[in-house]
Order: sequence, then C-alpha cells, then structure tokens
Amino acid sequence: MDHVDTGVGGLRTTREQSMELFAELTADDVDAARRIECRDALVHLHLPLVEHCARRFRNRGEPFDDLLQVGTIGLLKSIDRFDLDRGVEFSTYATPTIIGEIKRYFRDKGWAIRVPRRLQEMRMMIGTVTSELSQSLGRSPTPREIAERIGVTVDDVMEGIESSNAYATLSLDAGGDGSDEGGPSMLDAIGQDDAALEHVEIRESIKPLLEQLPAREKQILMLRFFRGMTQSQIAAEIGVSQMHVSRLLNRTLEQLRESLQGSA
Amino acid sequence: MTTRSDVELRVPADTAYVAVLRTTTAGLAARLDFTLDDIEDLRIAVGEACAMVLEQARADGDLHATFDLGSGELSVTVSADADAASEPDTDGFAWQVLTALTTRASAEVTPDAVGITLSMKSALLD
Repeated sequence: MDHVDTGVGGLRTTREQSMELFAELTADDVDAARRIECRDALVHLHLPLVEHCARRFRNRGEPFDDLLQVGTIGLLKSIDRFDLDRGVEFSTYATPTIIGEIKRYFRDKGWAIRVPRRLQEMRMMIGTVTSELSQSLGRSPTPREIAERIGVTVDDVMEGIESSNAYATLSLDAGGDGSDEGGPSMLDAIGQDDAALEHVEIRESIKPLLEQLPAREKQILMLRFFRGMTQSQIAAEIGVSQMHVSRLLNRTLEQLRESLQGSA
Repeated sequence: MTTRSDVELRVPADTAYVAVLRTTTAGLAARLDFTLDDIEDLRIAVGEACAMVLEQARADGDLHATFDLGSGELSVTVSADADAASEPDTDGFAWQVLTALTTRASAEVTPDAVGITLSMKSALLD
C-alpha cells in the first residue's frame, strides 16, 4: 500500500485522507484487494481516535490494551457502516460506536451495577405509584408523596430512583422498540417552534447528529427542549414511564456530548 | 464575600465524579420536596453544567459544587480551576439545555476559574 499515505501530519489532514479513502472504498470500479488496502488505511488513520476513547475508561480495572482492542472493533464496525452521503464527519459518526463497544465490553464483564431484588421491586413500585399520583394530582409527584403512598421513607424512594438510573445500562437497549413512524415528521413538526432558536449553532453541529438518533430518542429530545414539555407530559404522550423518559434523555444528551467532543 | 453555602462538595475535576454531584443534587432536591420532574431535570442540568465546566478545567484541579437551599428553591454552583478560562458558549446547544431545564442559569469566569450557577424554583410554589 505504498501509495496510501497513512502518516500523521504531512500535507493532507486526517479528514481529507479519510474522505478520499471512503470515496474509493465505496466506488464501484475498485477491486477487492484495493478495497482491503483502503479499509486498512482507514483503520490506521483512526487508531488515535480509538486511543482517545479508550483513555476515558482507564483506571477501571481493565488493561488498556484490551480497551484498545474492543475499541478497534467499534472502529471497524463504523468503517463498514459509514455512509459518506450522510454529511457527517466520520469521527463524529464513529465515536459513539467505539465508546459503545467499550462500554459493552465492561457490561459483558459484569461491570454494570447489579441491582438487588429489593431495589428492583422498589423501582417497579415507584414507577406504578408515580403514574397513579401523576394522574390524581395532575402533576409530577414529589418523592415524599410517593414515599407516603408506598409507606416507606423518602430516602428509600431516592435509593430506588438511583438504582433505576444504574439499571439503565441493562434495560435501555431493550427499551427502544425501533418504531420509525416519528422520523422525518418530527423535524417538520418543530419548524414553527424553532424560530427562537435560529441563532443557536444547532443547525450546523447538532442536526446531523439528531438525524442519526433513533426516532424515539429524537422525539423525546425535541419535545423536552423545543416544545418545553415536562418529562411527565412526554411520558404520557409517548406511553412510557417518566423514569424511562429521564433515562433516555440522559443517555441521548450524553451521546450528543460525546459526539460533539469526538468531532471537535 | 458571599455568605456561606449550605452544602459544599469538592471532588477531583474528572468526569468520573460528576455522578456524585448529580446524585447529591437529586438528594437535596428531594429533601426540599421538589417534584420528580424537577429533580430529574436538575440532575440532567447539573451533569451538563459539569461537562461544560470540565471542558476548561485543569486536569489536576478540583471541581467545586456549592448548594444553597431556599424555601422551594435550590441553587447549585459548579466551578473548576482553569488556566485562562473563557466564557462558556451561551449560544450553544448545551447552554440551551441548561436554560430549558432550570429557572435561571448564569456563568462566572475569572482568570483562573470557570463556574456555572443554576437555580430552580419548585413547581409547587406556583
């Protein structure tokens, strides 16, 4: 692969190099051997990104080399799935996948917090009582109100809510039902409410990322920040619990943040 | 010289500790009888504020959080030691998130520190 410059610095930026390589990788008239070369070159080009992502997970009891290895799997997946036409930087696209792969590795190693049965039951009870009280009060209940209804202390309730946040790593992936009907229409729908946000950099930096979010995550984000609906209202609107809305919001914001940092 | 804060917390300026501040915020808001919606919003807002502050934080510095508990109102300030700190980008999406989630958000920048103050009034006050 003598004519593929994988060195750092030089005349061309990583960004330009990766654009060219992707263009070649997806062109019709390129033979298989050359494709493999391009893919290899792309991997080498972006290993520093994997390192950057893996570094965030140092000091958590797993060897750094292992993190690099699973991170590289994420990189390979991103390269194979990347679509130039989406108009997103590859690094922006790849970062969540690489980080996701590393997190999955920790999860598979049993690193995610195990929630005791007692707390799981508390969590479910809080969920039920929260929706009952939201109905009867016409607003989101306070932890004290929930505690009184269940007959436990406020601290028990808060403990249950914390555990449900920890629980997120286990249940979130199962959470999305992949229904796609909200897709483009959500962005259409925000058209009129968007005026006040014209000055915000959202157009440039966030929109491509929003486009990549699953329909439900995007919908929740839009409802919360562009429609100003409360978490309870969103929960009622899309038919999930308020705690689930909270988890999805948290996760989506975290993803956006990581993507923005990755592309900076 | 401001008056003493009700609750203060100092952790290393590292994202790993943000969860501690988020949890503390939720615990205090629950004690003040905020609704679950408000509590979860505050939790997210504090996470965002920490992320913004940490962007500029010195690696070996501290992340400070002070909490002022009023009647039906909670104010949180997160700040970090920084070299040549600059004003957080208040036109960006992150700031939009902060202001959407809280009653008031403001940034304070000094040459060697950057801080963000959030406050929220309980929904039950109205």
